[in-house]
Amino acid sequence: MLYLDLLLTFMKISIFSFGGGYAILAMIQQEVVLKHHWLTQVEFQDIVAISQMTPGPIAINAATFIGYKQAGVLGSALCTLGVVLPSVFVMLIITLTYLKLRNKPWFKSIFKYLRILTIGLISAAGILIGKGAFVDVFSVLIFALVFLVSWRYKVNPVLLMLGAGLVGFFLG
Amino acid sequence: MSEPNKASLLKLFVTFFKIGAFTIGGAYAMIPLIRTEVVQKNGWLRDEDFLDGIAAAQSCPGPIAANISVYIGFRLRRTLGMLTALLGTILPSFITILVIAMFFDRVSDLAATERVFHALRPAVVALIAIPVIQMSKTGGVSLKNFWFPLTAAILVGVFNLSPIWLILVTVVFAVLTSVLPFWRKERMQ
Repeated sequence: MLYLDLLLTFMKISIFSFGGGYAILAMIQQEVVLKHHWLTQVEFQDIVAISQMTPGPIAINAATFIGYKQAGVLGSALCTLGVVLPSVFVMLIITLTYLKLRNKPWFKSIFKYLRILTIGLISAAGILIGKGAFVDVFSVLIFALVFLVSWRYKVNPVLLMLGAGLVGFFLG
Repeated sequence: MSEPNKASLLKLFVTFFKIGAFTIGGAYAMIPLIRTEVVQKNGWLRDEDFLDGIAAAQSCPGPIAANISVYIGFRLRRTLGMLTALLGTILPSFITILVIAMFFDRVSDLAATERVFHALRPAVVALIAIPVIQMSKTGGVSLKNFWFPLTAAILVGVFNLSPIWLILVTVVFAVLTSVLPFWRKERMQ
């Protein structure tokens, strides 16, 4: 049965992918293209491109798209549910554990070091996005402008992104 | 310890809907937006709690964005808050993709989007850089341990190492350093 198959496949993708969006995309390719043949490699690349060009978590985007192409709106809802459900469950357990243990010294120590690591991992995300971002003088100017305005005037990031998007639409 | 400010479910939903609608290029691009709303504007969480949430979210399988909304939603309003924040994060991309899947056949139809993204990508890099700089202090980065986040950033960002290995090594190291001196003390007593 296709519906159940979609749900279970995306649950599997979710639970076995650590490290967020790009790790999930690799799992999706494995399951959806190579194993189930729900998509060709070219269609998969299109979906990756669309997921990167639209707002929201990449994994959710890809799941919605694949689900719709396979089984309509219900399919897209099931795939999205599948990709979110297992991790929500695990994350809830992690959150509950955190709230229970956060005053224990050994647990505090874990988060003391994880915080420092997290700063590094957020920077890594900046580097990853930056790889495809700085393609010409225009993009460097946008970077400098957004950085200065945000740092100096603390403008809401949503407004800055709207502004950058508009500039891109007309001048990009 | 109680949470500083109480968040209404509606406000929580609107906040995370906004975050979901304006996140481009994955969960980490959400961080400046979430921090602005949750830490700076509404004062629902402190920077340290927020960083802990990101640390936990990336240690958990699945979409990091969904994991962060679970943590923040649950901390603010328990189970209902968790579901509300999650729904807010998911809905914008769900609706957008559904519309695209229904009406666009090829990526080339999205040429205007590519122009928009030409400007958005460097903007996102700038927006990520700022909380990194600001949270370095609250996160405990100092001149002595600066090499550690820097190495992590290079390994993951440049050499594409999976963050999960760094997380595992960090957790093991953290537990050892906190437990070992404790054992030593106990033996001495």
